[in-house]
Amino acid sequence: MSAQARQAGIRLGALNARERNVKYLMFACASLSVLAIMLIFLFILRESLPAIRQLGVRNLFLSADWSPNVSNPEAGSYGMLAFINGTIMTTLSAMLIGAPLGIGAAVFIDQFAPPSIAQVVRRGIELLAGIPSVIIGWFGLTLLVPFIARLTGSSGYGMLAASLVLVVMALPTITTLSAETLRSLPPELQEASVAMGATRWQTVYRVLIPAAREGLLIAVILGMGRAIGETMAVQMVIGNARQLTFSPLQRTSTLTSRIITDMGEATGVFRSALFAQALVLLILAMVLIVSIRLISRERKH
Amino acid sequence: MSAGKDGRRSDRIAAGVFWVLGMATVALLLFIIVEILARGLLTALNPKFFLGKPEAMKAGGGILPMIVSTLYLVVLTIAISLPISIGAAIYMSEFARRGRVSGSIRFCLDSLSTLPSIVFGLFGMTLFVIYFRWGMCLLAGACTLAILNLPILLRGTEEAIRLVPNTYREASMSLGASKWTTIRKVVLPTAMPGIMTATILPIGRIMGESAAIIYTTGLFVRNIPLNPLDTAAPLAGYIWYAQSEALVNDYRRIVDGGAALLLIMVLAVYFLARYLGKRYQQK
Amino acid sequence: MRTRHKSAAAVAVFTTLAVLVTLAGCGAPARKGRYSGTVKVSGSTTVLPLSQEAATEFMALNPRANVEVQGGGSSVGVAQLMQKVVDVGNSSRELKGDENNGTLVDHRIAFDIIVIVVNPSNPVDELSHEQVKAIFTGKVDNWKKVGGPDKEVVCVVRDQASGTREVFDEKALDSTKEHPMESTPSAIECASNGVVREIVGTTRNAIGYISFGYVNNKVKAVTYGGVEASVADASTGRYPMARYLHMFTRGEPEGAVKGYIDFVLSDPFQTEIVSQEYIKIKDVTVK
Repeated sequence: MSAQARQAGIRLGALNARERNVKYLMFACASLSVLAIMLIFLFILRESLPAIRQLGVRNLFLSADWSPNVSNPEAGSYGMLAFINGTIMTTLSAMLIGAPLGIGAAVFIDQFAPPSIAQVVRRGIELLAGIPSVIIGWFGLTLLVPFIARLTGSSGYGMLAASLVLVVMALPTITTLSAETLRSLPPELQEASVAMGATRWQTVYRVLIPAAREGLLIAVILGMGRAIGETMAVQMVIGNARQLTFSPLQRTSTLTSRIITDMGEATGVFRSALFAQALVLLILAMVLIVSIRLISRERKH
Repeated sequence: MSAGKDGRRSDRIAAGVFWVLGMATVALLLFIIVEILARGLLTALNPKFFLGKPEAMKAGGGILPMIVSTLYLVVLTIAISLPISIGAAIYMSEFARRGRVSGSIRFCLDSLSTLPSIVFGLFGMTLFVIYFRWGMCLLAGACTLAILNLPILLRGTEEAIRLVPNTYREASMSLGASKWTTIRKVVLPTAMPGIMTATILPIGRIMGESAAIIYTTGLFVRNIPLNPLDTAAPLAGYIWYAQSEALVNDYRRIVDGGAALLLIMVLAVYFLARYLGKRYQQK
Repeated sequence: MRTRHKSAAAVAVFTTLAVLVTLAGCGAPARKGRYSGTVKVSGSTTVLPLSQEAATEFMALNPRANVEVQGGGSSVGVAQLMQKVVDVGNSSRELKGDENNGTLVDHRIAFDIIVIVVNPSNPVDELSHEQVKAIFTGKVDNWKKVGGPDKEVVCVVRDQASGTREVFDEKALDSTKEHPMESTPSAIECASNGVVREIVGTTRNAIGYISFGYVNNKVKAVTYGGVEASVADASTGRYPMARYLHMFTRGEPEGAVKGYIDFVLSDPFQTEIVSQEYIKIKDVTVK
C-alpha cells in the first residue's frame, strides 16, 4: 500500500461502527484467497488419504504399475510413477525449447526490434496466451501428431508431441515476464556497456542477461508451472498409455492427463489414487511458488 | 570489451537469430489462427450449426446450448467474483498495512494463480457438486472459476483502484468526507472504467477454460440451460468431449466449427479489451 | 468520457442478459404423453449413445417425462443401480457373480460383435487367437513377427471401465478372475469406439478393436482365428467375440422406466437407430 494512502487513512481517524463492518466485509473478501487455498488443500488431501493409507507411499508414489480394476477397485494397483515421470519429462523438454525461445523473443522485443515490430510481437504473445488449450490441443492432434508420425515412423503420439504443445502453452508466460524483467533493468547498465564500445550482442549476453538472471529464472519457473498444469492439450496428443518411458516417441501419460482419462469411471481407492495425483500436482506447484519467493528474496539482497 | 571485426560479425549473427526467434512466435500465432479459422469458419458461420441442437449419435448436430452455456458461465462467474474482487482490492489498497496479514494474502493469491486448473476442477467437484449436492451445474462451474480467476481479477481491480490519484482522496477528505464516503463516492467511480477493463481479460480465460469445468458443469446437454442449477456444457469442454468420444460421424466438422467459434469469441473479447484499455488510457 | 465507458460496459452486459432471456423464452410447447416422471440412467459408454438418443426421442413423445442419461462405464452403472442412485443401469457385459443378487432384471437391447481392425495400409489380413493375445499383451511388439512389415506395433485399446475391453480381455486375452490379463501398458487408451477407429485409421502401425457397426473403410477388419466377423457366425458362436448389450432394472420396470425400455426395444427405434451401429435384438437367436 502506498505511503500517501496510509497517511490519508491516519488523517481520517476512527471509522464508525457501520464502516467498521464494511471494512470487515472487505477483509473477508481479501481473506477468501487464504480460505480457498486451505480448502483446496484440505479437500484434495482428504480425498487422497484412503489411497495413501491403503496402498502406502511406496505402492502409490514409487511404483510404475498402474492397473486399475474398475469393478473391484481394491484388486487393482495404483502406482503413479510413470505419470510423475511423464509430467517431469514433458515439462523439462518443453523448457529446453521454450526457455531459449521465450527469452530470445523477449531480448528481441527489448533490444533488437524496431518499436512498431516490438509492439506487434508483444501483442501477438498476449494473444497467444489467450488461445484456449483445447484449440492448441486440437491443432496438435490434427497437425503435429501426423507430422511427427510421418517424420519418425512412430505413431506420432507421445512425449515429443506433448512437449511441443507445452512449448506453445508456456511461451507467452516466459516471454512476457522476461521482457518485463529486461525492461525494468536500469538503463545506465546498457549505456555504460555501449559507451565502452560493446556491441548490442555483447551487451546482451555480458551485461543484460546476467543482470536479469533472477527475473529470467522466475519467468522460466512460472512457465514450468503452466506446463505442469496443462491438461487438455497434453491429453489429446500424449497417447494416454500407462508405461514408464524415457523415449520421446513413446506414449505415456502425465499426472493431469491421467486424471481426466480415468476420473469418469473411478470409484473407491481408484478414485482416491487419482486425487493423490492431484495432490502431487498441488505440491509441485507449491514448490515452484516457494522457490520463486526464495529467488526474489535473494534478488532484493 | 571493444567491438572488433569479430564482434560486429557476431553481433549481426545474433541480431539475425533474435529476429528469427521473435518473428517465430508471431508466425506460430498466425499459423494457429489461420489454420483453425480456415478449417472451421464455414461451419461456424452456418446458422444450422451455431443455432442448432447437438446430436448424441446422428450427424448434423449444432452447438447453440454450448454457446449459451459459455456466455451464461461468464456472466455468473463475473457476477460472483467481481464484487469479491472489488471488496478485496479496496481492502488491499486502502486499508491493509504491509505486514503478516497482507503478506500471507498475497502469498495465497500467488499460489492460487499457479495451481493447475484441473486441481480447481477436482476441488469444485468435491465441494460444490458432491458435498453441497448441487450436482454438475452452471453454478458449481461458476464458483470454481470464480476462485480460479480471483488472483488475476483482483490484480487488475487493485491496479485500477491504485491508479486513482491521491489528490482525489485528499480533496474529498478535506471537504470533510469520511474515508468510507471517499471510497464510495470518489475512488470507486473514478476507478470503475479501469475495473471494467480489468474484467475483460478473465472473461477470455473463462471462455477458454476446460479442465476446471468438465467435472463441475457437465460435458453434454441437448437443451439450453436456463437455471444456474441446470447441467450445462460450455463450448471449450464440449470441444474436448466431442473429440475424445468421436461418437458422431461428423465429429471433425463439429470440433473444427466449435474451435473456430471459440477462437472468434476469444479474439473478440481480446480486441474489446484492447479497445477499452486504449480509451481508458487516453482519458 | 468516463460515463461513456460505463454505458458501453452496461450495454454489453445488457445485451448478454437480453440474449439469455430471449433464449430462455423459446421453450418447447407442452404436449401430452403417456408417461411422466424422471428416469435416471447411467453406465456403459458403449450403450450411452443409444441410451441418450432413446432418451431424446422418448422425451419428445412424452414431454412430461424426463430421462437423464450419464456414462461412467458398465461397472459404474450396475453399482449405481444397486445403490438405487439410478433406475436403469446400462451394461455392455453380463452381470458378474457378486452383482447378480437376483433382484436385477436383464433387458437385452442389442447384439454387438467386437472386430479387430488395423490400418488399411497394413498387409496383415488374418491373426490367430494366440497372435492377437501376444500382440495385445505386448509379447509381440513388431509386425514382422506376425507376417507384417518391420514396424513397431501400436495397440489401441478402450478405457478401464469399458465393457468392450472387459469382453475383449476375457475372450481374446483369456483373462479370468484368478489370472487377470491386461493389455500392454504402452497401449493408447481411448474413451470410445469412434476414437479407436479414428486412431487406427490414421496411424499406420496401429491395431485396435471396435464394435461391428463402427467398421468402415477408414480401417481394415482382420479375420480372427480364421473366421471373419459376421452376424451369422457370431450368432452361432463360431466367431467368439460377441456379446449382448443390456439395460438392467431393479425388479420388473414400471411407469416411465418401463415406457423408456419399451421404447428402446420398439421396432422403429431398433430399425432406425440400433441397426446403425449394432445388430437388432430380433435378428439374433443364440444364447
